[in-house]
Amino acid sequence: MTFTPETEQKLQAIWSRYPAGRKRSAVIPMLMYAQDETGQVTQEMIAEVAKRCEVTPLQVEEVVGYYSMLNKQKMGKHHVQVCTNIACLLMGGEELWHHTTKRLGIGHKQVTADGLISLEEVECAGACSWAPCVVDGYEYHHHMTIEKLDQLLDSIENKVQ
Amino acid sequence: MALITNILNNAAAVAKGMSVTLVEMLQPTITDAYPEGPAKLEERYRGVHVLQRDENGLEKCVGCFLCAAACPSNCIYIEAAENTEEGRISGGERYASVYNIDYSRCIFCGFCVEACPTDAITHGHKFEIASYNTSTLVYRKEQMLTPLPADFKPLVVKQEAPSAGH
Amino acid sequence: MSTSTAAPPTVVNFTVDGRQLSAPPGTLLIDACKRAGIEIPAFCYYEGYSLQAACRMCLVEVEKMPKLQTACTLPVMEGMIVRSETEQIHKARKGTLEFLLTNHPLDCPVCDKGGECELQDMVFRYGAGESRFTEIKNHEPERQWSPVVFYDPARCILCYRCVRACNEGMGVGALGVTNRGVVSEIAPNMVDHLDCDECGACIDICPVGALTSNTYRYKTRPWEMQHVGTVCTHCSNGCKTTLGVRNDEIVRGNNRDRSGINGEFLCVKGRYGFDVSTNEERVTSPMIRINGKLEAVSWSKALGFVAEKFRSVSTAGGSFGVVAGPHLTNEELFYLQKFTRAGLKTSNLDHARSGDLVTLLDALSGKTDALATSDDCYNTKAALVIGSDLSQQHPFLAFQLRADVRHHKANIYTVTPGPVREAKYSAQSIEVPVGGEFDALRNLTETLKGEQELVILFGDSIKGQRVRDLVEWASGLGIPVKYVCLVDYSNSRGAMDMGVMPNLLPGYEVDPHPGMSLGQMLSHETLDVLWVVGANPLRGKTLASKQAFVVTQTMFLEETSERADVVFPSASAYEKNGTVTNVTGQVQRLKAAVRTMGAKTDLEICGLLAKELGLAVEIGVWSHDVVFKEIHKSVRGYNVPLPILITGGAAATNPVNGRVAVDVRIEDIQSAGDTLFTSGELGRYSKLLTSVPEFPGALYKR
Repeated sequence: MTFTPETEQKLQAIWSRYPAGRKRSAVIPMLMYAQDETGQVTQEMIAEVAKRCEVTPLQVEEVVGYYSMLNKQKMGKHHVQVCTNIACLLMGGEELWHHTTKRLGIGHKQVTADGLISLEEVECAGACSWAPCVVDGYEYHHHMTIEKLDQLLDSIENKVQ
Repeated sequence: MALITNILNNAAAVAKGMSVTLVEMLQPTITDAYPEGPAKLEERYRGVHVLQRDENGLEKCVGCFLCAAACPSNCIYIEAAENTEEGRISGGERYASVYNIDYSRCIFCGFCVEACPTDAITHGHKFEIASYNTSTLVYRKEQMLTPLPADFKPLVVKQEAPSAGH
Repeated sequence: MSTSTAAPPTVVNFTVDGRQLSAPPGTLLIDACKRAGIEIPAFCYYEGYSLQAACRMCLVEVEKMPKLQTACTLPVMEGMIVRSETEQIHKARKGTLEFLLTNHPLDCPVCDKGGECELQDMVFRYGAGESRFTEIKNHEPERQWSPVVFYDPARCILCYRCVRACNEGMGVGALGVTNRGVVSEIAPNMVDHLDCDECGACIDICPVGALTSNTYRYKTRPWEMQHVGTVCTHCSNGCKTTLGVRNDEIVRGNNRDRSGINGEFLCVKGRYGFDVSTNEERVTSPMIRINGKLEAVSWSKALGFVAEKFRSVSTAGGSFGVVAGPHLTNEELFYLQKFTRAGLKTSNLDHARSGDLVTLLDALSGKTDALATSDDCYNTKAALVIGSDLSQQHPFLAFQLRADVRHHKANIYTVTPGPVREAKYSAQSIEVPVGGEFDALRNLTETLKGEQELVILFGDSIKGQRVRDLVEWASGLGIPVKYVCLVDYSNSRGAMDMGVMPNLLPGYEVDPHPGMSLGQMLSHETLDVLWVVGANPLRGKTLASKQAFVVTQTMFLEETSERADVVFPSASAYEKNGTVTNVTGQVQRLKAAVRTMGAKTDLEICGLLAKELGLAVEIGVWSHDVVFKEIHKSVRGYNVPLPILITGGAAATNPVNGRVAVDVRIEDIQSAGDTLFTSGELGRYSKLLTSVPEFPGALYKR
C-alpha cells in the first residue's frame, strides 16, 4: 500500500533508526503514524508494516491486539482521550469524562456521527503532575476544567466549520 | 399339690409362648410372596443399570469412560463419538455411541454410579436377568436407556457442556 | 536439549530442600531440580524453548530474596538455598491455579485431555477445586482451524507453549496471541484458519485440552489405550512414534515420552499418517488374474500357483526380476535378497534408489567417523545443506538444525535450487539451479574454512562423480567434515545395507555375478517373472516385457498391481515387527501395533513362498528375530549393541570403511521429492494427508 509523502517520510525516519535484523522494533511507531493517516489500522496496513519490519503479519496482529492506542475500527478526525486514572480521578477526571460523553453523546471508543471526534477513556496519559489531563491527538491539555474542556471541543468543532 | 402347680406352670409357659405367636399373627407379614407376587425392593437397591436422560430428552451420558475406569470387574465397554449439530444425542460435546454392560461380570458394586460426573448411570430395580445363554447378558445401551415418554416434546434449548461450576 | 550444554567446566553448588546439589553455571533452577528428582511444577516452561515465565506455577523460596522467585528463569548461583515445598509456596500455587480456573471450564469428563492433563494433575495436587470467584465464566465457542487442529479458547491457560513450539521448534510461526488480559487468546495466522505444516506439535505440547486433534477427538480416553512404541515409516528420518491403540485400532500417534532420537518431534505424517492402515481400499485377500480380472483366492491356491510358475521358469532357465520396496524392514529385505540370490539364483534385484550412498562410501574409504547421525545434526557447529528442501523432505533433520541454531548458535548454509525455510535462520543461503552447486560451494569455501566442523547434507542432485568432487572439496576445507546422504524412504538405507542391489551383497560386498538394475529389468523385453515386494515400479513407467508373469505383494491395488497376475495382501509397517535403518544409519525397532484381517507381513509371504518352493531349509526361518540374528552376525556394520534396540533406542550402524568398487548407475538414482504431505506410494491412501492444505514453498512441486 502507499502512504502520503509526509507519512512515508515519518515511516522511513523511524524505520531507518533501527539496524538490519532489528527492524521489528519499528512496528509500534510505524503503526501509529500509519494509523494517524487513516484513523484506523487496516489489514493492508498490517501486511505492509509486517513486510517492512521483517516480521509475520500475525506478529503485527498481536501488537495491534495488545495496544489500546491502535484501533482496528475507524476513529474520528480528533481522537480525544480523557484520563481517569488515579491522579486525574482525584482532580476531577471522572467529571470531565461524564461531561464529555454527555456533550458528545458517545461513549468509550465511539465516534460522533459526523466522524469528527472520537472519545477514549485512557488509563494514565503520563501527565499526573498536571492532572486532570485531556489529550487531543498528540496534544496535551493540562489542569483541565469543564470550561476549558468545552472551549477545546468548541474550537475543534469550529475549526471545521 | 405339686402336680397342680406343675400343670399350671406348664400351661402358663405355653400361653406365654403362644402369646408371641398370637401377637405375630396379628402383625403385618414380612415375607414376600415372591415369585408369586412382586418383590419389594428398597429405594437404594442396586439392580440392572438405567441410563438417564436430561430434561430435554437428551442422553445424560457424555461418554467420559469414568464408569469403565472405576469398574472393578471391567464389565463396561464404551465407544464415544462426537455430537453434530444435526444429530445431537447427548448434552455434552460427545456421547456414547456404544455402551455395553456385561452382566455376567457385573458385581453390582455401584462404583460406576459413584464415578459418573453427569449422573447418567444409576441403578434400577430390575434383577431378574438370569439366562441360559450368557451372550444375552451383555446389555446394550438401548436396553438400559430410560424410554422417552410417549407425549414427550423436546425443549428447544441449546445445551452447553455440563459445567459443574465451582 | 537443555540450555546448559555450552557451559564452562566449573560447577555451582547450591541447596534445594536441604539437599546439596551442583550444576554447571547458567543452568536454570527448574532444570537442575528436575535432574535431581525434585519436581517443580510449570505450565509455560518447556525444555528447549525460550523462557516465558507466564504461568507463575514454578515459584520457589530462595533465601535472601524477599519474594518468591520463578524457578524457570532463575539460573543457579553459588550458595543459593532454595525451598521448593513450603506452606507459602503451596498457597501461591493454589492461588495461581484458582486464577487459571476462573475461566477454565470444568468439563474434564468430555475433554480429550482428561486423565493426562497437567492442570488436572496440579489441581489434584494443590487442591484449588474450590473457588472464590462467583462470576460467570467467559465462554467462547470452539473453532476448527484446519483439518487437524481444533481450538477451544475457554480451556486455554495462555502458557504460550504452542506459540513457541510453532515459532521456534517448527520454524513456521503460524500461531500468535492476540488481545490482552482476560480476552487474550491464541490466534492462527490466517485469521480463522491455519496455513502451516499441520504437524500437530501445538496439540501435543498443550498442557490442557485447548488444542485438540481432529483424528483423536472424543474417540477414547488416555487410560483406555495401549501405547506401542514404534518407528514412523513415512520418510527416511525414522522418528520414534508412540501409537495409542484401542481395540486393535490406532487412534493416536505422538511421542510424549520423548523417547527415541526425535524427542517429541513428529511431522504430520508421523502423527496422523497411520490412517493408511485402515483405508478400505486395502487388499485383504490374495488374488489371481483369471480371464483378465483379479479374483480373490485362498492363500494356498495363490502360493501354489506362484510356486508352480517360479519352478517352471526356473527349470526352463528363464529370467527373474525382483523389486523390493524401500519401506520394508531389514529382515524382509535381507530374506528377500537371500531368496533371490540363493533360491532364484539371480542378482536381478533392486529397489527405487534415491541417494548415492554407495559412491559416498567409496569416496570416504579410509576415513573413519565420517557419517553423521541425527545427533550430530543437533550438536554440530556448522551445517551445509545441498539440494534439498530439508523442512519438506527431511523434517526431523530440519528440526535438529533449527534446535542447533537456537541452542548452539550454529551456522547453517544452504545451497538449493529454490527458496527453503532454512534460509530464515541460516548464515548464508544460496539459490542455484541444479548443476551449479559447485560454483556456489567454491564461493563458500573461504567462509567454511573458518568453521570448526561441518556436517554436509546432500540430496539426489549430488551423485556419481559429483559425490567424489564434493568429498574432495570438503577435504580441502581442513576441518572435520561429516556427511549425510539424504535418501527418501524409511528403509532406503537398509535396502542398500541389506544388499538389495544388483551388484552389491549385504554389507556392501561386491557381488561377483551382478544382475540387472530396476531400469534394466523394466526395459528387458523377455523378462519372465517380475516379483514386486512392497513397491510400485510401474507408476508412470511401463514394463517392456509382454510375457512377464508379475507377482506383487502390496497393500493397495496400485499401477503395478493392475498389471499383476498374482497379488498378495501385505501388512503395513504398523502391523510388522522388525527393524529399519534411517537416513543417518541408525537402526530402530518396529513394533506391530495392530493386526489387519487378511494381510500377512512380506517376510511371512516370502517365507511361505520359499516353503512352497522347497527352499525353506536353504533360506531359513521366516521369523523376524531369527533373520535379525543373522543380520546382526553377518552384515557388516550391523553388529550393534542389542540392549539399545530392545529398549526402543536407536543404534548407529557403521557401514564398511573401504572401497566399494562398483559401477553405480546414477541414472537410476532419483528422489521422489516427497513433501510434508506426501509419502511415496502411501500418502495418497491417507485420508488425512490428502485433506490438509499444503504449506507453500515446497521445492519440488510435482
